[in-house]
Amino acid sequence: MKRLFRNKFVIGLLCTLFSLPVIAQEDELKDLPGYVDFGDLSLTYGEPKITINLGGTMLNFVGMMSSSESPETSEMISKLKGIRVQIYSLEENADVARSQFSDTKSNLKSSGWEPIVQVNEDDEQVLVYMKAVDGNMEGMTVMVVDDEEAVFVNVIGQLNPAELAQVMDQFDVNVDLDLD
Amino acid sequence: MNEYDEKWEERINALLDGELSADDAERLKAEASDDRELARAIVEAYQLQKAMDEVKVERAPASLSKRLNAIPREHSKARTFSFLQPRWAMALAAIPLVVITLSLMQPDTPSASEIAKARQEMAIAFAYLDKANAITSREIESSVGHTLADAVTGSVNRAIKSQNLNSKEKEA
Repeated sequence: MKRLFRNKFVIGLLCTLFSLPVIAQEDELKDLPGYVDFGDLSLTYGEPKITINLGGTMLNFVGMMSSSESPETSEMISKLKGIRVQIYSLEENADVARSQFSDTKSNLKSSGWEPIVQVNEDDEQVLVYMKAVDGNMEGMTVMVVDDEEAVFVNVIGQLNPAELAQVMDQFDVNVDLDLD
Repeated sequence: MNEYDEKWEERINALLDGELSADDAERLKAEASDDRELARAIVEAYQLQKAMDEVKVERAPASLSKRLNAIPREHSKARTFSFLQPRWAMALAAIPLVVITLSLMQPDTPSASEIAKARQEMAIAFAYLDKANAITSREIESSVGHTLADAVTGSVNRAIKSQNLNSKEKEA
């Protein structure tokens, strides 16, 4: 009986140890207050054309790599805990995306996010929300839905939009976007 | 044991061991001649001692001696290879598992190409933020004019920046 208990204890301990990294990776961003659940539009529009999930660990490495080139950029990146992007091509009608846009907007309002900028045109909706907890910025969310694509961006951590241009110049990365 | 045994035991033993002085030995002898119980006790003790002296040391059988002599060696051998015992074998087998588990729990160090890819993805994310910023600025500008649009976007940026400053002050 004592041996059986000991074996169960050892097996349970090993299972717990092995599952810890997986659980930690899954919950790394979801547990943060700046995280936003955008839902899933893949059933309607297929897989997103762009999916980005950068966690705090990878961002730290990017920040360290940037420290020699630009300490300011490195400092800005060090305040980020995660970056998530989902972009869907809307070849069919955009109604489902607009509906998801509205649902997410309602969820943001009910969970303490504050609207910064909203644009409501017939063919284009843009929404920028910010989450602050005890005066600390915890995240920013940008959603754009037009007739061609739905863009969901969630930056977890602190980000000053005024510093974006500086960071873009510093990165010197060619990003081809349709900025109509 | 009778009263004489208790009373005379020490002196009788001393006598038999030759440790009693000549005077004490003569005195004991005189007393024994008057006391039959004492005399009998001295005789019995003497006979017992004689019988003990006549007992020979029997040699143990060779097989038993061999087995008895092997005990210290076996004991020593068991200690040397005690790591083969089940409990130690289980503990040793668990060491690689624990090492692997701990290494899995450590954050992986990404390669240079992975970091470059992450940098590209970050730039894409920021480009889309910039795109949203451009759209909102354009819409505000078309609605309220360029000067007021700058004022609005400026105030938004200041509001966000104040959150960052607030955070910095709290950290300090």
